[in-house]
Amino acid sequence: MVRTLTYGALIFLSALFIMPFYWTLITAIKSVPELYQYPPVFWPSEAQWENFIIAWFKQPFDVYLKNSVIVVVLSTFGQLLSSSLVAFGFARFQFKGRDAIFILLLSTMMIPWDVKMIPLYMEFNMLGWINTLKPLIVPAYFADAFFVFLLRQYIMNVPIEIDEAARMDGANSWQIYWRIHLPLMMPALVLVGTFHFMNAWNDYLGPLIYLNDQSKYTLTLGLSMFKGLHETDITSIAAITVILCIPPLILFFFAQRYIMDGAIGSSVKG
Amino acid sequence: MKQLKKLALASAVAALSLGGTAMAEEVIRFATWDSDESLAIQQEIAKRFEAANPGVKVQVEPYADGYDKKLIAAFGAGSPPDVMYMWNYPKYYKSLMPLDELMARDAEAMNLSDIPAGLINTTRIDGDAYGMPAGFTTHVVFYNKDMFAAAGVEEPSENWTWAELREKAARFRDKENKVYGYAVEAKPDPFDYEQFFWSNGTRFIAEDGSAVDGYMNSDEAVEVLSMFADMAKNEEAVVIGIGDNSSGSALFKGSKLAMYQSAMWSKSGIEEAGINYGVATLPSFGDKPIHSSIGASAMSIAKDTKNAELAWKFVKFFSSPEAVKLRTNDLPIRTSVAKELNMTTDPTFKPFFDILKVSDRESNAFLKHENWGKIQTNLERAIEATMIEKGNAKKHLDEAVKRSKRHLN
Amino acid sequence: MGTDPDSAVQRNRFFEKLTPYLFISPWILGFLFFTLGPLIFSLVMSFYDWPVVGERTFVGVDNYRVMLTEDPLFWDSLWVTIKFGLFFVPFNIILGLLLAVLLNQKVLGSGIFRTIFYLPSVISGVALVTIWAWIYSHEYGILNFLLGLAGIEGPNWLGDPSWSLLAIVVASLWGLGGTMLILLTGLQSIPKELYEAAKISGVPAWARLVFITIPMLSPMLLFTFITSIIAAFQQLTIALLLTGGGPLESTYFFAMYIYDNAFQYFEMGFAAANSWVMFLIILALSMLVMKSSSAWVYYEGEMKNKEQADG
Repeated sequence: MVRTLTYGALIFLSALFIMPFYWTLITAIKSVPELYQYPPVFWPSEAQWENFIIAWFKQPFDVYLKNSVIVVVLSTFGQLLSSSLVAFGFARFQFKGRDAIFILLLSTMMIPWDVKMIPLYMEFNMLGWINTLKPLIVPAYFADAFFVFLLRQYIMNVPIEIDEAARMDGANSWQIYWRIHLPLMMPALVLVGTFHFMNAWNDYLGPLIYLNDQSKYTLTLGLSMFKGLHETDITSIAAITVILCIPPLILFFFAQRYIMDGAIGSSVKG
Repeated sequence: MKQLKKLALASAVAALSLGGTAMAEEVIRFATWDSDESLAIQQEIAKRFEAANPGVKVQVEPYADGYDKKLIAAFGAGSPPDVMYMWNYPKYYKSLMPLDELMARDAEAMNLSDIPAGLINTTRIDGDAYGMPAGFTTHVVFYNKDMFAAAGVEEPSENWTWAELREKAARFRDKENKVYGYAVEAKPDPFDYEQFFWSNGTRFIAEDGSAVDGYMNSDEAVEVLSMFADMAKNEEAVVIGIGDNSSGSALFKGSKLAMYQSAMWSKSGIEEAGINYGVATLPSFGDKPIHSSIGASAMSIAKDTKNAELAWKFVKFFSSPEAVKLRTNDLPIRTSVAKELNMTTDPTFKPFFDILKVSDRESNAFLKHENWGKIQTNLERAIEATMIEKGNAKKHLDEAVKRSKRHLN
Repeated sequence: MGTDPDSAVQRNRFFEKLTPYLFISPWILGFLFFTLGPLIFSLVMSFYDWPVVGERTFVGVDNYRVMLTEDPLFWDSLWVTIKFGLFFVPFNIILGLLLAVLLNQKVLGSGIFRTIFYLPSVISGVALVTIWAWIYSHEYGILNFLLGLAGIEGPNWLGDPSWSLLAIVVASLWGLGGTMLILLTGLQSIPKELYEAAKISGVPAWARLVFITIPMLSPMLLFTFITSIIAAFQQLTIALLLTGGGPLESTYFFAMYIYDNAFQYFEMGFAAANSWVMFLIILALSMLVMKSSSAWVYYEGEMKNKEQADG
């Protein structure tokens, strides 16, 4: 009974959630007249799969892809390393000013980007980073508040005995972080990795503001080029969106197992 | 190797941005709002400029929909591009280079008299020109010839009126299939809306920018808004722009609209969609003279550019006959080119030029007051409210005037 | 004084004291490099009439005064944002929790379900908005088409001020895949032994949810609570692209108010003042939640800490 109900709910909700993706897909392969037909066409009479290739070659998307991969890989690595270090610091130590600093950290999440944009641009300009990928990569090595907060919450739920036992065995804080907590944090790290990956992959504003030259553009910036001031190339937007979804989805499908392997649940006995 | 081949196959864009960096000595940054096909045209022109000027590299920077945001960041932080497309002169002119002297100097070589003065005037602040037009568009009505034939409705004549348009539009109404004769924009860009005010003998704001009372809420203004509201109420037109992101051009391309008021930027898309279309000028209000708004793609030079002479050379090149001919996505600013390409006789181009001839009396409201941006928000609200209530234009325009007092100072 | 063993101990102590700061140093440095400067800059800006180009003039607290006393849009947009938050925050957490609990069970193909629920979060903003526009469109939309099949004449979702905000809330909730994942991760970290023990002692399912799941999940709930509040206040993209704040300011969010002042009207100083007010509001709300959290958030790690301190 419960089982059937669960499946029923899951399948119904899945249908709701899959619809946008389905619609994007069929928009990409529709012919122009069918695009605007009413009542809506739910499957094109003649699927134009070549639209994917046409859209891809309308702009140098292979260059964009290379740039996006560089940004995403390098920044994700930095984010995982720095955020986990900082989160561990906040979760496992008592030190002077900790709570005040933590509030300060939280508050940085609340600053609207509108006002940071110009001063940050000036700063990156002084550093000579404008029109390079650095503004999109380097800040990730300095820990993002959202991820620090997330990981801190996770670490704080890990029983303290684990640390104490390790300390008895002569481990110092760095070893406890590296050997014990990092593996324990695996599910949360995968989560942070996923979120950061998606943020970086779909970031539009950062690349728009800091990059000038098309040879430096990222995929999202390329995607936005299909939306002009007056006219929008809906077919190409849909086609590139579908292509852009696929790598993160595959990655996510494999990564989510690690979230599910409840590291604490299975490795902590009592 | 494979990578290289792929690149070669890819559009000229890649070749442009990746090739030739090694030997370039001087770089010009050129920012544009163009995307897709019109971007390819900009890149082609830039490439020809590079070919004619060895040792110069043009870095084309396309920002499409994000153009305004990018420009704010770049200007705000003090590192704008050397050359850029510009429309918002009131906000930027202090950081732009006045071009009158340069134009006067090179008038002969440029054959400046070939370019209508009205186009250059769209870039003037306090009498100084800050932009050099490269292309332009006026506004017209596109109509679907097949739909007109099928419904047995007579196609628009040369000097048609709004009353005629409404009468024709009413005959296409087919609620079942969601077909309409016309589309009314409920949240229009006021920049393109003022032409209706002009054509009915009023304007958004006094010529000297001192008042909106008696202009924005004049009887003529009320008449314009009421007419569109009536069209919506009588279902002579579908309302788009609020609650409906189906753009007019999309509906027209899908044969859901018989007539659609737009500009040059819609033309190639309509052709691509395979619509058998015709073009008519804007209808008139009775026997009052029509007046279209003019959208000029004009280029400006940053005041602090290190390469002023080269930047000016580049801007001049964009208005040269060679470049103007390449710009198939807007209209040629040079009368000679328009004639050479037979545009003044081709029926799908002629109306654009016909209306240009009579559209030199007015200039846009945003050039007349520095707070226009805020005043405009109130006007937008009035139009929107009128379209939602399908009436009460007078009340909402009065309200807009009242709200705008604060910004008139 | 210098070389006795005491100083070695002291040095060790010193390093021990330093260790936590070393752990958090990446963030501290990042804050100094990339946040503090812009923050101070924007505070200074907020006391100026600061157009993007041209002269900047010091105006004191004038920007704040105009915002609070003269500009009706400030209060309007704040009210819209609060209304949005009152719907968005609870639904985001409750629905996210519901999905997480569903997926936390051993169901066949759960990996695929999880991927599906995360799908909307993967689609980039531009495309997502295009999809919603098509769903909500009054005349040509799928929603009203389906309602029409059932004989109902659908409203003008985005064009009617009484429906538009709700439409935006629903569109925003589509992205709750992220919340679901966070809570799912939290659920997974609850030791299975707890449930087994409870089951053996005959504790019913609802009681297991209330007495085990919720308390053990409370750190993650706190996280989603605070980040949802922030998300609600920073809500911009969907409304900007879908309704542009309309009709008649019914979806004119506070973030859009700031955005317009900066990018429509070029009033950087005024926008900075707006931002600081928004910043302080969210900060106050978050502090309130954080303060209250000691009453309802249970940390497995910290509890033991206290016990140890007592013992």
